[in-house]
Amino acid sequence: MSDIGSSGIGNTRYPYYYGPEGRLLLVDSALEAVGRGSTTIGIKTSTFALISSHIKPTKPLVEASEKIFAIDGHVGATGSGYIGDILQLIDEMRIAAQKYRFTYDSPIDIKSLARQLSSYLHDFTIYAVRPQAASIIIAGRDPAGVQLYQVDPSGTYFSGSGFAIGQYSDTAIDIVQKEYTEDITIAQAVQLSDRAIEKALGEKPLVERGLVTSKDATFKKMVNS
Amino acid sequence: MTTIVGIRTKEGVVLGSDRRASKGFFIGSKITQKITKIDDTLAVAIAGQLSDADYMVKLVKAERNLIELRRGFPVTVKESARLIANQAYTGLKNYQPYFVELLVGGVDQEGGQIFVADMSGAITSEEFASSGSGSPIAYGVLESIYHKDMTNEQAKEIATKAVAAAMERDPGSGNGIDVLTIPNLSLVVEERRR
Repeated sequence: MSDIGSSGIGNTRYPYYYGPEGRLLLVDSALEAVGRGSTTIGIKTSTFALISSHIKPTKPLVEASEKIFAIDGHVGATGSGYIGDILQLIDEMRIAAQKYRFTYDSPIDIKSLARQLSSYLHDFTIYAVRPQAASIIIAGRDPAGVQLYQVDPSGTYFSGSGFAIGQYSDTAIDIVQKEYTEDITIAQAVQLSDRAIEKALGEKPLVERGLVTSKDATFKKMVNS
Repeated sequence: MTTIVGIRTKEGVVLGSDRRASKGFFIGSKITQKITKIDDTLAVAIAGQLSDADYMVKLVKAERNLIELRRGFPVTVKESARLIANQAYTGLKNYQPYFVELLVGGVDQEGGQIFVADMSGAITSEEFASSGSGSPIAYGVLESIYHKDMTNEQAKEIATKAVAAAMERDPGSGNGIDVLTIPNLSLVVEERRR
């Protein structure tokens, strides 16, 4: 008999069912994969939301994958995990944003976007398929203000002011939590997220960033300084 | 019903239209907007079923946004016209045609361009074009005074003249004229630099 399932009673052949501890093995594995992804951070105040992601160094002649993505004019996202899965989820969000415009003639609100992504991810947790090994951080601006969301492979989504996902995200979020204040400036937030990624990795990293502010309400990739 | 015209110039494109929406022998609206901007570089002038045209325009808008986000550079005018034509063709082949004839006008790296897209899914590139019940009259004006090296200002005048003539003799057109000018990209950049 195969032993890919958990060692629980009568559940050795179906890794997509609940394990004996009431956990979903496949979802846990997806989260495990996210935990090995590049360190990625989101910081939000009432005036702006910043997302930044570590770019893992590649071979000298290979261009590193893009990590900050515009979803629509007013919202952007980044992620950690398998890059193929991230790209797929990014495209799902872009399509969701355009469909929303098509149906309602107005830009999608960030909560609806997070909710749709969550619903898409959740579908993978109820069938015998591989869940997407990617967590996504969404930064956007809508009539309710500046928004920051994290969406996990389980379909769980959170709204908040500071998130860290990927490798050493525990260390990174510690640093962000310690130094975060509601009146932090954009420059300070950039510095803080850089420092959090650097501390987590123990080296000077290459970072890609994206920003949306309450003032101009358009999501922009930040030029590397 | 309707009269719409589109003119390509060396400086960009100009679209013109009347404002009448007919319901049989009744004037349904006197302030219809028949020229829809898709963005700052592309617009569509509509003849035919407004609901069908609106639906197509919204689809193209969404597709253009998606394509640009995915590939990182904008969709050309020709590609946009093709998107519309594909939709029209699919509709025709599925026995649910879109009852429209659209003038797609816009600017890209190639300069200004006018395309005519009809319900059969055909697209043709034109220097100037007209559509709607008033088009034979508008064409009369366009054929007699259009020339290749026009400025946008001159094209605006000619578009106005063509629609005005059609409004005089075509009962399906009337109630005022709308004109939209889209200047070439290089011109826009130059203006911003100053």
